[in-house]
Order: sequence, then structure tokens, then C-alpha cells
Amino acid sequence: MSRITAYCHLNEEYCSVNGAILAERDKESHDSWFKQLYKEQEFAYPKFHKMDALSQAGFIASELIKRANPKIVNGYADDEIALLFGNRFSSADTDSRFRTSYTENGAPSPALFVYTLPNIVLGEIAILNKWYGENMFVVLPKFAPEFFVNYTEILISTGSKAVFCGWLDITADRTNVFVFLVESEAEEGIDCNVPNLREYSGI
Amino acid sequence: MKKIYIGAETIISPLGEDVRKNFAAIRDNRSGITLISNAGFNDDAVYLAKFLTVTPTFASLIAATLNLVSDQLDPTIVSSGKTILIVSSTKGALDQDISDQFGKSMTVITEQFGLKNQPIVISNACISGVLAINAARNFIDAGLYDHAVVVGCDLISDFVVYGFQSLFAISDKPCTPFDTLRNGITMGEGCGAVVVSNTASIFNNSPLGLLPGTTANDANHISGPSRTGEGLYRTVKKTMEINNLVADDFDFISAHGTATVFNDEMESIAFDRLGLNHVPLNSLKGYFGHTLGAAGVIETAASMQMMRENLLVKSLGFEEQGTTKELNIIKKNTTADLNTILKTASGFGGGNASLVIAKR
Repeated sequence: MSRITAYCHLNEEYCSVNGAILAERDKESHDSWFKQLYKEQEFAYPKFHKMDALSQAGFIASELIKRANPKIVNGYADDEIALLFGNRFSSADTDSRFRTSYTENGAPSPALFVYTLPNIVLGEIAILNKWYGENMFVVLPKFAPEFFVNYTEILISTGSKAVFCGWLDITADRTNVFVFLVESEAEEGIDCNVPNLREYSGI
Repeated sequence: MKKIYIGAETIISPLGEDVRKNFAAIRDNRSGITLISNAGFNDDAVYLAKFLTVTPTFASLIAATLNLVSDQLDPTIVSSGKTILIVSSTKGALDQDISDQFGKSMTVITEQFGLKNQPIVISNACISGVLAINAARNFIDAGLYDHAVVVGCDLISDFVVYGFQSLFAISDKPCTPFDTLRNGITMGEGCGAVVVSNTASIFNNSPLGLLPGTTANDANHISGPSRTGEGLYRTVKKTMEINNLVADDFDFISAHGTATVFNDEMESIAFDRLGLNHVPLNSLKGYFGHTLGAAGVIETAASMQMMRENLLVKSLGFEEQGTTKELNIIKKNTTADLNTILKTASGFGGGNASLVIAKR
């Protein structure tokens, strides 16, 4: 039985892990919300500061899940953890910034251009963890529990032993992130099925 | 393992508005790449494989491709409740709505064709197309659908041209994959489609067999290929193992071959590590340019045509070996029995993907 063994929510107001609030946004801060989290949670990964918001969100949520479930770090071979992420608007926020770089700011920015693909977040997580497993990024009109349950089962039946799943809706005025870890041989956790995903996602 | 079929391949590109015209062009070693004036950021001329007489939208190009697919199938399949549409693309309808590049187009297509299931867009950089075909097979193998229509579509925009220019990745001549003088990509645009199914009888022309494929990440760099070809090596090795295939089983490799110095070098290292140096190989980028999210589907469709015609098509632009590991790059069209072929793709985000097509 595949089970969800840890999950993380990140929205405009707060960040929670396994349903417990870990941090709340300080709206007075000069730092972005994700940078606040980076500092407050004492992450030490300077590449974070080069990432766009989509990759920062994926970084924070996946690292917090690892902290909540540290045995996954050494519990799997380097190609046994798959990444299955999706959202509604692809990399639209970064795409608009890149377009502004050449329409208003003089020249196309290569540092922005490399983030104008939604799957870059998967690459960032793979690089950080040295994970060589399966990757897929999908664009769907809304969070689809059936898709995540079905494709997670497919990945597990074809050799992956754990799947990091994520729904990363990040736009200029909206943050709605739900990342969850599914493990195929977990003894404890939440059964990975459609009603549970619907309930725990809160989306 | 269930027998799963692939067929009804089609292509709309600057080389022609159906698969027959596209294959006729590549058989004649004719390229879709031309010099387009004022295309670059500083109004410089850029070599592109661009539609010259029409300016399709993302949705109109997908719709035209779906009509061509329907003509090659049992006409009830596309709108069947047992069919899923999977679209592979990087930038969708970016030029029409940068804030919603896929949603509106997918709604239009769903309504126009009366699709019963919500289409899935796979946006995984340059491996999107190969990944989408693999995902289609996985869905059918798992019994979730009986058929999948896989459409790969991307259009050239100022956005992507300026972006690749900012990375100094665009060739100053039509791209020359694997050649010693290669110096970058040539962007292309177009739309390709294949149909994956558990039922051979839906196809007007007999289908080929689609074997399970895989992906692997390089875990190395978001915009540069691995120096060791690790991800490409791993995906092809996994794909060979699950299908019980050895290097000698392959009659042809349709490589990614973008014609950047580092990508083609990386591929040569990975294929060398896999013992695939001797297998006839081409990159189709010299014909279609790099069509990004569409590339995997367009190039798979073209490779299927090669299998049907038993013709190894010349790797256009290649003159002299330009990688440290030797590969068997196809220098001129050659007749050969093409029974089992490998298609690979690699891309930004460290993605690598592979699939295998075999005749029955």
C-alpha cells in the first residue's frame, strides 16, 4: 500500500508541515515570503537566491518534508525517488519577468530565461539531492487528485519506490503550494487515494 | 507485458502540412531552415525553421493535426471516453496570453473535438515529447485508457529566440548536429502527433509496437548538459533492461542532437558508455530545427516513417565527426531493415528520456 508519509503546505499566509503551522508570513518584512522562510528555517543553500519563486517553493517544501521524514535521505537508491509536479500556469510569472527584461529593461536576461520552464524546479531538487530518478511536470486546469494517485501508482509499478508530488500554483498574486511524499512500502502514513488527497490537499 | 501499438503519425512543419510531405522532404535531404531577417533581438537575421506562408496559433495547429490524426483512425477514437489527449509543449500559446499559455487552448480543443477526458499538458522542456509518448503508454498499460493521442506543439516567438540568443546558443548557420564545426541550435516550430493504443484494429495503416520507456535526471545543472552523460546513460540503460534489449538489437538511434558543442559531446559520451557507437544514428534537427516541446513527437513520427520505408535518413549538416567519442552518424540515405529503434531526448532541467519502437 502506498502511503503519504509527509506533506507541506505553503500559501500567502503560512507554511505548515503535516498540518502543523511552522511559520507565518511577516507582512512588514522587506524580504520576500520565501526568503523569510529560508532565513527562519536556517537553510544554507546559496543557489536558493538565484532561483525563481517556483523553484524556491519546491526547494522549501521538499526540504521541509525531508526534515519531517529524515529517513528518506538515505533510505533509497539515487534513482528510486521520482518527482511528479504540476500546476495551472506553468512558469507564467517568470515568463512575464523575462519578457520585461527585453521589452523594458534593455536586453533579454539569461538568468531569467533559464527559469522560463516549469520543470526547472524538478532539476533544482534533483541537483540538490543527487536524485537521478523519473521526472514529470504537467499543466492542468486545477489540482487533480485522480491524476496524482494514478500516475504515482504507475511510477511505483515501474520501479520508483517513492514519489515526491507537488502542486505549485505560484503567480504574482497567489501562492498555493502542496507538496507530498508518497512511499510504496511505508508502514505508517495516510493511504494515498483520491478522497485523502482531496482532504489533505485543502485545494 | 501488454502489446501496445503506435501509429497514425503525422507532422505539420515548415517542410509540409502532412506526414507524407514531411517525409518526402527529409528523404530528399531538404531542410525547413531559412534565414529570417529581423528575427533577432537586435533585428539581426536568424536561421529558423519557421512557417513562411501561414501563422498558425497553438490551438489552430493542434486542431489541424488532430484532424490529420482522425483521418488515419477509426473516426470514433479521438472523442472516445477511453481516449486521453496528451499535449507536449514548452511555451504553448505564449504569444497570445503569457499568463495562461495552455488553459484556454485546451478548452478550445476539448470543445471543438468533443473530448471526454481532460487533456494533460506535459511541459518538461525538450524531453516533453518523448516523455508524453512514454506517459501515454503507461496510462494504457495501467488500464486507465485504451487509447492516447499524443500531440507535440511549439511555435517560434521573440521570447524563445531572444532567450536562446541571450545564452549564445543559436547557430550562425543552419545547425550541424555532431559536426566538428557545430556552434549552436537552430530553432524550429511545428506540430507532430502519434496515437498509442492497446488495439491494433483502430489504425488504417498497420501500427508499430511501442515498448516501455523511461526518464532520468542528470542531477547536474539546470541549463547545461552533464559532462558524463549520466542521465542519458541511465535512461537508455533502464529502457534497455526493462525490454531485455542489448546494443546489437538496435537498428537506428534518433538522437536529440541539438548541435550545441556541449549537448552533442554529452550524447556521444553516453552512447559510448552504452556500447551504442556502432548503431546508425541521426539528428533530425537539421531538417526541422529544434522544435522544443514538439521535438520528441515530430522526430518520433519521422522515425516511424523511416521504419515503414526501411530508410536510414542522412543526418543533415553532418560532415566530420566533432565529438570525442565516435558515433555511427548517417552520412547519406541508406536502405536498411529497421526493426527496432531508439529515440532519445535531453533538455533543460536535467531531463533525459528514451523510448523504443519495434516492428511486430
